[in-house]
Amino acid sequence: MGYVAIKGGGRAIAGAESAVEALRCAEGEQGTPLSLSAIEQQLRLLTSRIVSEGGLYHPRLAALAIKQMQGDTLEAAFALRAYRSTKPRLMDLPVQDTSRMRLIRRISSAFKDIPGGQMLGPTNDYALRLMRLDLAHESAEDFRAVSRRFLDGIPDANLPDTYPKVVDALREEGLLPPLTRRAHGAFDITRDPLVFPVPRSAALATMARAETGSLLAIAYSNMRGYGDVHPTIAELRVGYVPVMVPHPVTGEPIEAGEVLMTECEVVAMYEGDTTDGPPTFTLGYGACFGHNEVKAISMAILDRALQKGMRDGPSNPSEDPEFVLLHVDGVDSMGFASHYKMPHYVTFQSDMDRLRTTQDKATAAQSQPEGAQP
Amino acid sequence: MNPGYELPLDEAGYSFGFLDEYAKREVRRTILKAICIPGYQTPYASREMPMGRGFGTGGLQVTLSLIGEGDTLKVIDQGADDSVNAVNLRHFVELTCPGVDTTEHTAEATLIQSRHRIPETPLTEAQVLILQVPYPDPLVVVEPSEAKRKVMHGEGDYSRLLTKLYEDIVQFDEITISHRYPTRINGHYVIDPSPIPRYDVPQLHQNRALVLLGAGREKKIYAVPPYTRADPLAFDDVPFRTEDFTDDHGQRRACERCGATDSFLDELIDDDGHKHWQCSDSDYCNSRLTTQNAQSTGVVAGVADQEVKA
Amino acid sequence: MTNEALAWLPARQQQVFRRLMTAFSYPGRVQSLEGAEGNAMRLILGTLVDGACTLSDIHHLLERDDRRRLGARMCSLEVADFILAPGTQVLEGTPRLGSLENPEQGATVVLAVSALGTGVCLNLQGPGISGKQPLRVSGVDPAWWTQRAEWNAHFPMGVDFVLVSDNAVAALPRTTLVTMEGAH
Repeated sequence: MGYVAIKGGGRAIAGAESAVEALRCAEGEQGTPLSLSAIEQQLRLLTSRIVSEGGLYHPRLAALAIKQMQGDTLEAAFALRAYRSTKPRLMDLPVQDTSRMRLIRRISSAFKDIPGGQMLGPTNDYALRLMRLDLAHESAEDFRAVSRRFLDGIPDANLPDTYPKVVDALREEGLLPPLTRRAHGAFDITRDPLVFPVPRSAALATMARAETGSLLAIAYSNMRGYGDVHPTIAELRVGYVPVMVPHPVTGEPIEAGEVLMTECEVVAMYEGDTTDGPPTFTLGYGACFGHNEVKAISMAILDRALQKGMRDGPSNPSEDPEFVLLHVDGVDSMGFASHYKMPHYVTFQSDMDRLRTTQDKATAAQSQPEGAQP
Repeated sequence: MNPGYELPLDEAGYSFGFLDEYAKREVRRTILKAICIPGYQTPYASREMPMGRGFGTGGLQVTLSLIGEGDTLKVIDQGADDSVNAVNLRHFVELTCPGVDTTEHTAEATLIQSRHRIPETPLTEAQVLILQVPYPDPLVVVEPSEAKRKVMHGEGDYSRLLTKLYEDIVQFDEITISHRYPTRINGHYVIDPSPIPRYDVPQLHQNRALVLLGAGREKKIYAVPPYTRADPLAFDDVPFRTEDFTDDHGQRRACERCGATDSFLDELIDDDGHKHWQCSDSDYCNSRLTTQNAQSTGVVAGVADQEVKA
Repeated sequence: MTNEALAWLPARQQQVFRRLMTAFSYPGRVQSLEGAEGNAMRLILGTLVDGACTLSDIHHLLERDDRRRLGARMCSLEVADFILAPGTQVLEGTPRLGSLENPEQGATVVLAVSALGTGVCLNLQGPGISGKQPLRVSGVDPAWWTQRAEWNAHFPMGVDFVLVSDNAVAALPRTTLVTMEGAH
């Protein structure tokens, strides 16, 4: 007997698990475990991202996933998505109405002023990205004082929860085409595989839980010139959309709760279609769970690009539904990237066999002088 | 956000086999259509599993939709039961499928889930082989659009694939595809047989057992029914060749552990830089060793018996 | 628990599916279903059909309660995923045959036959069969086999059959060539 086969796969996996846990708790005696509430609130934008990419509105579980996966957004979204996979579907809801969103932020780039005004809300858009070193030594008292001060200063004036949508005004004037009732229900990407060509609802659903960076990169390619969208934001809204569920007995819609969402409507170059009447602007739509503006904007631009691509044929990657929709899911892409770390030695053995045979043939051919008779 | 919200610690338990019954039924319907259309990549929704895409979620969904009490499952990766991925998948099935046995012995298994190898021991009609697939479509190398590929598959038009193989031959004097060798099933659909080595492709032909192939990320299931033709693509003057385990003296290498000269061998490099060769199929190797040990002790016993008789 | 209630349990459906998959893998080999108690149809459909499917049952082969429990959407035979039909009467109309790009859209006919293993002898060839496989069926109008051959004339399009008697099942994928005994 000579070489002994490698064993111990099970033990190696167990060892890896305890190494991961040890790193998570590496602060040791100096450490305190992160509370889920702290992650959900103080890292709210990270939590929003995981809720959106996991495809399950459960901010507390998303916070748990972030804690468990030590901040890896791809892994955290994956954990939430896998959890979602095990939950039974209780019912399919009717289409929800985002115009009922209880707003915390709402802006329009298309108009200087809009009904209700431009509400900046919580945004860093106009903040200077200077590091706040005071945050390095934030005391519990200072922390608590912030929300006390903010809530003290709230004016009494009663603002309406929501405002009319800018796109409705554009539609009324005929600058956007009228809304059409769809003949079929929305495509369910969790139940049916994407078989191209897909309807627009399938594209939107896929992008709604896509990985933010992936969407951004492709949308950016369109913005920079590999595309024609030239968008203007008609409206960007962030707020809480009531989830209306039909009452199990009466069938009347009742509010079961609300979900934080970001919605972006982008107006793009007008299309003139002589058969359908006068030209209008075209609309790109983006929406996702949580507060994630870059994602909603990217999605709206890609929605427009894909609609154009589906109609006229793609002239660049961002207009190609297969290219976009099959490559933006973080769970799929990250899983596959990671799979390269698995053993591949049998396939590599096969590769080596091929190369050696090919090399042998090449060497044999070289050692034959040109034009020599065999 | 409800500040008083507490995470329910005792979430409802997972159903048998992790997947809910709707998911299983969808996989089952897909499997039957796949058997009816040999080699056709049948689409399905493909649920997320707790291990990454690329780690066998497709094969796993097939296994979980088939498995039940009374089954004996074998899981291998690169031919080995102890490979990390196989260990992980087997552990998952043990967790989610109480009442199911697992085994390392090919002959004892009713279901065999495998990544990158077909077991050396021939299968029987009482067994089902499930292969894990990363890339289901052999036409991807010549056509990036799935919509166009589906038309080519439907028409059985593989001229562009054959052209690509021909170009290889012109450049290298060989077909350079190593694993994932395109193979024609029942005279129509050409499949990517998953990253099994060429060595294993002949086992797909007229096998006694059903072979199912599951791609989780790509959301496809396809099948090679039993007793069905499986012809690796080749040319009249450039035949299909399996991996060559001949040494520099023209001798077929043997496994250093069990002496087999008829199995696919792993090439291992030890700490001194020397090469060693061993069966990739760990059960095949172990079984041969066990038989050899039994035979050597058996000879001694036989002699003793004879002496007593006399 | 009654056998009827047992039919809907996941464990039972898993066992039944394995028999069904064996039937499709080895066309023509009759698989008996223990505990069917004369209602193999219910067992077979329970393992395959739910709210995600469409079902045509013009001849009311399914009891109303079973139909409800399955949750499938009822529709005409021309658009259904699954078509229940009696062996004694051919369909009036053409089921879905699928397309070149999506042949899996071809329907599955679940044919209620009076017995498997006795009756007219069919000879089967094709994937899943080593050489030839005889299958005896009673209660099937021979016009079914002519119809089937027409629908399956252009592979990959076609229709797949499940033959169901009181307590047994056999399958004929579209790839199976069926010839009547004595026919050429």
